[in-house]
Amino acid sequence: MKTVNSATLIDRLQNDTRQILVRLSHLRQVDPEILAQPPAPGKWSVAQVIEHLNSYGRYYLPQLQKALDQSDCPANATFKHGLLGNYFTQSMAPKANNRITHKMQAPKGHRPPVDIDSKTVMDEFEKQELWLLELLNRARQTDIGKLRIPITIAPFIKLKMGDVFGFLIAHHQRHFVQIDNALVMQRAGAPGFANKK
Amino acid sequence: MGYDTLRIGHSTRYEKGSRKSEVGCQKIPETSNLCPSTSDFRLPFIILMQMETALDTLKKFIFAVHPLQPEEWEAIAGIWQPVQYKRKTVLTAAGETERHLYFVLEGVQRAFYVDAHHPEATLVFTYAPSFSGIIDSFLTQLPARYFLETLTTSNMLRTTYQQIQQLMTAHPNIQSWILKVTSHAMRGVLERQIELLTYSAEEKFRVLLKRSPHVLQLIPHKYLASYLGIDASTFSKLLATVRIG
Repeated sequence: MKTVNSATLIDRLQNDTRQILVRLSHLRQVDPEILAQPPAPGKWSVAQVIEHLNSYGRYYLPQLQKALDQSDCPANATFKHGLLGNYFTQSMAPKANNRITHKMQAPKGHRPPVDIDSKTVMDEFEKQELWLLELLNRARQTDIGKLRIPITIAPFIKLKMGDVFGFLIAHHQRHFVQIDNALVMQRAGAPGFANKK
Repeated sequence: MGYDTLRIGHSTRYEKGSRKSEVGCQKIPETSNLCPSTSDFRLPFIILMQMETALDTLKKFIFAVHPLQPEEWEAIAGIWQPVQYKRKTVLTAAGETERHLYFVLEGVQRAFYVDAHHPEATLVFTYAPSFSGIIDSFLTQLPARYFLETLTTSNMLRTTYQQIQQLMTAHPNIQSWILKVTSHAMRGVLERQIELLTYSAEEKFRVLLKRSPHVLQLIPHKYLASYLGIDASTFSKLLATVRIG
């Protein structure tokens, strides 16, 4: 598996996270009613997508924090992706031209209800993203290849911290593509939305 | 030169056609201060040469305003790492506390504010030679209220809050320099506030062109319009009529 420079990887992941924060700040300018409406029957509203992301953050961020707090591994200049971790990251990440591949149904516990407040979920997501940036800063001082985090779907499977950061952020990017698509659908004049901002 | 040069975004010292580096500065991996890294740190010769040129530029920039003793300069010179970023990299996000101070060697950056109820506002541009970073967050270590991004590929020198703190503690004259630079930055900010509050769109436009004529080529017009507090269509009209004047 590929070996990369750890600092460069963390730089990239932090930049990706900050880009998401910029997009979030623009999302806050959209009419909250639009954010709360499913763009089409059976599809998630923007608010639901954000809450879906929150549900994973609620699990992974404390796990990452705990691992970093307990770590005494010194930093390693290089990081080698794990086989499974890398697979998750690649399957999550949007491809060129914002194509989404490996479509799947969200597991139980990560399917948000329709009736949620968009501001509440965005506020929580923003806190999570700022926390994630801090965790990435801390991670510069440790070996992200040595520390392992159990995954949500199978706690006996533990992936390298560097890959967990990677697929978490790829997951965010994937869903922000979904958010962009949802807003396009709504602006394209689906019934009921044509005259909204 | 004078104090004008210290106002971020209003620098009159920018030289047209200043030599651009042919080979970009290569980012040096940030190491942990706690533990030695396992990689090889021999810098290629060309990067050492560029570092010398960069520090020379920084020295001239600092000394123009506040000359330092040789040992003070040696101390400042030692805290910088060269960094390079692609265009449209977000260096600092709103809500984050600014950990870094940058000295711009090449490229343009912009600070901008976005919130739920107002259109995006461009606050500041930084370009060579000047400092960059979210300065109020850096100095106060309070969370930033706005974003900082690169508009073009950027080569910069970068240091940290801890290093600046250590320097200021060890060298009172360096602390004086920082105070001086900050005071003049404040002066620039207030002058800009006067212009934003009292000048007409055309006056603001003319002042920008007079101070920094090169910005029209460097920076997308929508950001310049936002920076001046005028809308994009007014800006286009002014471009057409005023430029010839």
